[in-house]
Amino acid sequence: MAIVLAGNGAAAWGFRLSRVQCYPYYPITPSTACSQQISRWVHDGVLDAVTINAESEHSAASQIIASGKSARAGTATSSKGLLYMIEVLENASGGGIPCGLFLGNRATGAPINIWADNTDAYAMRDSGLIQIFAADGQETVDSIIQGYRIAEDLSVRLPFAVNLRGFTGTHAYEGVEIPDQQEVDRYLPSYIPFYPLFAAEKPVTYGAMLSAYPYRRHKRNQMETLRNAGEVTLQAGKEFGQRFGRSYGHFEWIGDDKAQLVVALLGESSCAGEVVTHHLQGTEGVPGVALLKIRLFSPFPAKELTQALQRAGTKAVVVLDEGLNHGAVLPPLAQRLSTAIHLHLGSAGPKVASVIGGLGGSEVRQEHFQLMFNLAENIAEGKPYRPEPYWLDIEEDPIFVDNEGDVNSRLWKKWGKVWKKQQRKEKFCAPIPPDTHEIRIYSRAGQGAITSAVGYTGAGIEQKYQLLTVPAFGSERRGAIITTDTLLNFQRSRKIRSFNRAWDVVVLYDDTILHSPEHRVLDGLKQGGVLLVNTSHMGVRKIRQILDASEERVKIFTVPADNISVGIGLKHMNMPMLGALHKVYDKVSFEPALSYYERNVPRPREASLEAIRRGYAETGSQEVQRVKKSSGPAVTQEFLDWRPEDHSHESWPSALEEVQLG
Amino acid sequence: MKSTERALPSSNLRKEFIVNGDLVNIRDRVEVGAANASEEAGNSRQTFLSPPEFLTIEEVARTPLNGVDTARALSDMADRGPQARLFVYRPEGKVVRYEVFEDPRVCLDVNRGAVIENLKEKPKDVSGWRTHDFFIDVKGCLGDECGRCAIVCPENAIHLMGKGKGSFHEIDPLACKGCFICWVECVRTAADCILVDGKTFDPGMRAKHFGE
Repeated sequence: MAIVLAGNGAAAWGFRLSRVQCYPYYPITPSTACSQQISRWVHDGVLDAVTINAESEHSAASQIIASGKSARAGTATSSKGLLYMIEVLENASGGGIPCGLFLGNRATGAPINIWADNTDAYAMRDSGLIQIFAADGQETVDSIIQGYRIAEDLSVRLPFAVNLRGFTGTHAYEGVEIPDQQEVDRYLPSYIPFYPLFAAEKPVTYGAMLSAYPYRRHKRNQMETLRNAGEVTLQAGKEFGQRFGRSYGHFEWIGDDKAQLVVALLGESSCAGEVVTHHLQGTEGVPGVALLKIRLFSPFPAKELTQALQRAGTKAVVVLDEGLNHGAVLPPLAQRLSTAIHLHLGSAGPKVASVIGGLGGSEVRQEHFQLMFNLAENIAEGKPYRPEPYWLDIEEDPIFVDNEGDVNSRLWKKWGKVWKKQQRKEKFCAPIPPDTHEIRIYSRAGQGAITSAVGYTGAGIEQKYQLLTVPAFGSERRGAIITTDTLLNFQRSRKIRSFNRAWDVVVLYDDTILHSPEHRVLDGLKQGGVLLVNTSHMGVRKIRQILDASEERVKIFTVPADNISVGIGLKHMNMPMLGALHKVYDKVSFEPALSYYERNVPRPREASLEAIRRGYAETGSQEVQRVKKSSGPAVTQEFLDWRPEDHSHESWPSALEEVQLG
Repeated sequence: MKSTERALPSSNLRKEFIVNGDLVNIRDRVEVGAANASEEAGNSRQTFLSPPEFLTIEEVARTPLNGVDTARALSDMADRGPQARLFVYRPEGKVVRYEVFEDPRVCLDVNRGAVIENLKEKPKDVSGWRTHDFFIDVKGCLGDECGRCAIVCPENAIHLMGKGKGSFHEIDPLACKGCFICWVECVRTAADCILVDGKTFDPGMRAKHFGE
């Protein structure tokens, strides 16, 4: 049975199931929640581990290295925190210490940026760690368990890092299957260090100074063990599949077996690529297409990857890098892949083009994959292409240009010859009809929209649908307008983790958002879609007037959620809004959902459930005469004193926690 | 949230570390009613601190271990070739886990992780670093009554010879790098005790080296 977890929660479960014994940490966005969860478990006594509040990432890394000499150790970090750890991480790989890192990948400033890209993971690629890229919460929990198995293999004994894209991975709530603890214990036996510290019979020194002769010989040994990690990863992934039903390898080949056109990339952005690949596979005139989702970045599985490309008869590979390699010929992934192709296949191998995208939280959307497949076909046809990276979403420097006048003359002088030969093709770039339903919530930070959306996700998952909730996290403070998006996939056959941004339902937690100049709430709403507004003093006609929208354009519903909550004595109006959402959008049935809420709703339980029921009952599209209130709900001191950190234990799924605690 | 106390797993015999809420307190280990707990702690301490062994095929053939399927391990090791090792973990002599694997090292003289096993370290000849020769005169040395030079020697080059009356210290000429620390620290200010190039305490030499 899947439970609702964000990527960080899944990572925490990975450490918990691996029975990590020492967990020092220094929190950093976007991987903080992982450490927070583990700290809470240790406090509650469900996880027998020692956590250390380190004074810096440098200390946290030093502590996992020190404890990793005798015990199973792990930590989580991101971005600059990882850069700060890199100084000591070479001691982990050089000392053969199999400790684990979870990385919520994030950009590295300047300019400061808290959102996702792979720059931090790329920065550590010469530290000698095993680097695994996960694409969602499920892969994260599985990869951390496998990571310890690989790292502690007798022929490896090296540290590992499991990477997950920040926010769209680490903060995306979805159904995650939690493996059974006993089964994990059988898969991952307890850690026996080679040279424990303080063993009386065999005192040892780690990190002693060695001169050139033993140093170079040690480095030769170290490279050999890292190379072994490639094969061990295959075995570990295969055995994991036998035990848990989810197999893993070096990479995933998604699409046609005989794909002439391949787009290769790391991690979570592949989810949008999967949708495009699935769509293009059935398209007339498109040669075979495939997405090469590379899981093991270090040690790079050069031979296996090139063999797969050769077997498929691939003609062109477009490599997407979500990070840079300043001053190099190609960014890291493209560089590794093109070197591998050059060495293993020579001139018979496919041509490699590089694309840089997804930087600093930029989305890699479906249309970007359409462009990349289009580019791959042009290259396969023998058209010229750039011997340096292309860029995604830079309007001044696009991949395809129709007219010379559309770009800067200096760029045209440089790339005009390439642009003239390259064409955008309709068969690749035609819009993809959405296979999913999507809900967007506009709310003000602090109103509890994420809590209700996560609850909704859990109810949907219990009804055997696939749901995904991605809140928008930014620099906003309490009271700012934020969005929370939920994706619903009713096809049982495949998982979809990519938004089309075509909303079936838009929910406003606050009627003042109707007047926001920056948020045009009807943008992206499907024709005839639903708008649900929390208001106690506005009628449907008034809202229609404000939005200047016809009845064909949008169906409008209102619910007086504030009044309901105040009446019940709740401080948030997210629970009535949750009930109201069920009323206006019935794909997730209300009755079974209610039984989920009965088990999982945040405290106070009875009041929350009552609020959900009343929200459901009091939602309507009729013009209702409402009593105009002279003022909004009274602002109490308690309300003003509310701080999210005091309530951080009130998380979904709280029922599960209670079961664990007995 | 629970606010009950719990002890952190620790190998410390005298102190225990108690988690109470967000605080960790250190207190003396309670012996009363903790027989089971301390036994448990003892076991975990043992498993914590016991290093595993890596046996070659010859070693396995020579001494079969209780709890290891020796015949199978040997045939497995023979298949894997000369680099095959048997990983055996036996805290308190009882085999808990064993596994045959191939030593991945290319250069076998360097330990995994470049870890130095302190007891296996051989003394190095550092006599070439010296500009003076040091020698402890048996007549002046207080023997096991003092031992200060042996404690302060950074190279562990000074050893106590004999016991009680008539015992004396000796400098290993291969391990002595000529740092003068013993000569400075000697409780007898090296008078009649530590000879430098055959000479006893010499204020001139002291002034030359230390500006006294």
